[in-house]
Amino acid sequence: MTASTITELAAALREGRTTPDALLADALAHLERADAELHAYLTVTRDLAQQQADAAARILRDQPATASPLCGIPMALKDVLCVDGIETTASSKILRGFKPPYTGTAVQRLFDAGAVCIGKTNCDEFAMGSSTENSAFGPVGNPWDVERVPGGSSGGSAATVAAGTVPYSLGSDTGGSIRQPAALSGVVGFKPTYGRVSRYGLIAFASSLDQIGPFTRTVEDCALVYSVIGGPDARDSTCDGRPMDDPLAELRDGVAGMRLGIPREYLGEGTEPGVRAAVEQAFAVLEGLGATLHEVSLPSTDVALSVYYVIAPAECSSNLARYDGVRFGQRVDRPSLTDMYLQTRDAGFGPEVKRRVMLGTYALSSGYYDAYYRQAQKVRTLVGQEFDAVFQQVDALVCPTSPSVAFPMGSRDDPLSMYMCDVVTLPANLAGVPGISVPCGFVDGLPVGLQVIAPRFQDSRVFRVAHAYEQATEWHTARPRFATDAA
Amino acid sequence: MTLSRDDVDHVATLARLGLSDAEKTRLLGELEKILEHIARLQQVDTSMLAETAQVGDLINVMRDDETVPPIGAVAALRNAPIADGSHFIVGAIQSSELDG
Repeated sequence: MTASTITELAAALREGRTTPDALLADALAHLERADAELHAYLTVTRDLAQQQADAAARILRDQPATASPLCGIPMALKDVLCVDGIETTASSKILRGFKPPYTGTAVQRLFDAGAVCIGKTNCDEFAMGSSTENSAFGPVGNPWDVERVPGGSSGGSAATVAAGTVPYSLGSDTGGSIRQPAALSGVVGFKPTYGRVSRYGLIAFASSLDQIGPFTRTVEDCALVYSVIGGPDARDSTCDGRPMDDPLAELRDGVAGMRLGIPREYLGEGTEPGVRAAVEQAFAVLEGLGATLHEVSLPSTDVALSVYYVIAPAECSSNLARYDGVRFGQRVDRPSLTDMYLQTRDAGFGPEVKRRVMLGTYALSSGYYDAYYRQAQKVRTLVGQEFDAVFQQVDALVCPTSPSVAFPMGSRDDPLSMYMCDVVTLPANLAGVPGISVPCGFVDGLPVGLQVIAPRFQDSRVFRVAHAYEQATEWHTARPRFATDAA
Repeated sequence: MTLSRDDVDHVATLARLGLSDAEKTRLLGELEKILEHIARLQQVDTSMLAETAQVGDLINVMRDDETVPPIGAVAALRNAPIADGSHFIVGAIQSSELDG
């Protein structure tokens, strides 16, 4: 399990070499050992997992030919994804004890495919952060060095796949919250095209940016999970109605003859030398596979960070207005309703959430709306136009996922320096384009990620480029000690 | 654009955040630094740019107006901090200066 992929485990299940029960027992035992150091989980869902493993065993016995490759395989969910009756907190005190009355679409599709959910993973509070240090329930350790962060906000989902507890997990990506932790934790992480995966049942952070996506150990597994969770959903009106292409269809077509762009702004001064070296070696590998490389420019990259830090807080200040102590979550009781609101939200939200709610409320307030919010939405159009223009010249973009490797916990206490973590991931959210991070090397034992970005709805092309690179290298087979000293 | 303590008080009220004085002081400094960084937005010439209203190209997403079973009072109230079986219970709304 600790080194296996979904594809390998699916084969083992069908050949009778293992059972859903045995896989579940392995995963829970591994979780117990690893999580004492990692703290990747907020809730372990033993009962749910056992029910699902039993059901999966029946499906594999009775209908093996039609069973999904995900059937009987353990997985984990970021704690922003609602599961009926299972505590879902978004790592916030304000939602402690909240048990959703329904299961979200992406999760339900995995459950319908026979997935076995072992738990809810730790993350930055309401998915706001780049290190998972903003969790109200304590930080997550990076499996490659537990004194360092795993990235964020989906740090627990990244760490548990890297550690070898489960072969896949789901996260959410608003400005890089899947890709950046995938890079820092040495796994594959994918943000789909905006509108390809239903957000029904995802606790909203910034609705024009949020997407659900998978963490896996290989690109093939990633495409496989995406093929199950993606596609139209009447319960999310922002979900695109067009049917899904098979994301595995062109997986093995290679990159020969493809035109790959390197955005010069994505390798700017803030890029650590080791990250630059690893990514440049990756470019050479892709060139060796027959792709042609072209320097391109996304001139608004620098200002995109400012666009993001107006739009994301503005949307979050609106989305988080629902946490008022009335219908769910924690309440600080006071005789007057307004005092109850004020005290509930003060006690329930952590410092980063308050910062963003304040920033967003300010940007939307009378007198500042035009200067901040409206201006940001105009510059966002420019960011999108620049992506459209480069995709006239090249088929896909290749670049670092993060300017740095995993940093020590507590080393970025200044909000702005933390915001800089997402400078090369958040433009894809602003433009709604798909992006993946795939392992591409190490700096002093810490993983580096290569990011591949393609035009909207060309999610398959992202997998094709990433898979070609992955198969030509060995980086995706490296495992931290948690995955090698187990069982 | 500089931020004043009055601005922080006003925004905290709008956001319904009952912040302590110490928190307001800290946020004043942090928000000023962030706003200073964001100020570069003002340097972009946007005279020829429309606002992004949506990322995709969806138009009028419609569905049939069919009745589906509702979630029901029991499930809807299950997570309420205080409820009486058919209502959410909250304090008096008239007593508030903010809402008055």
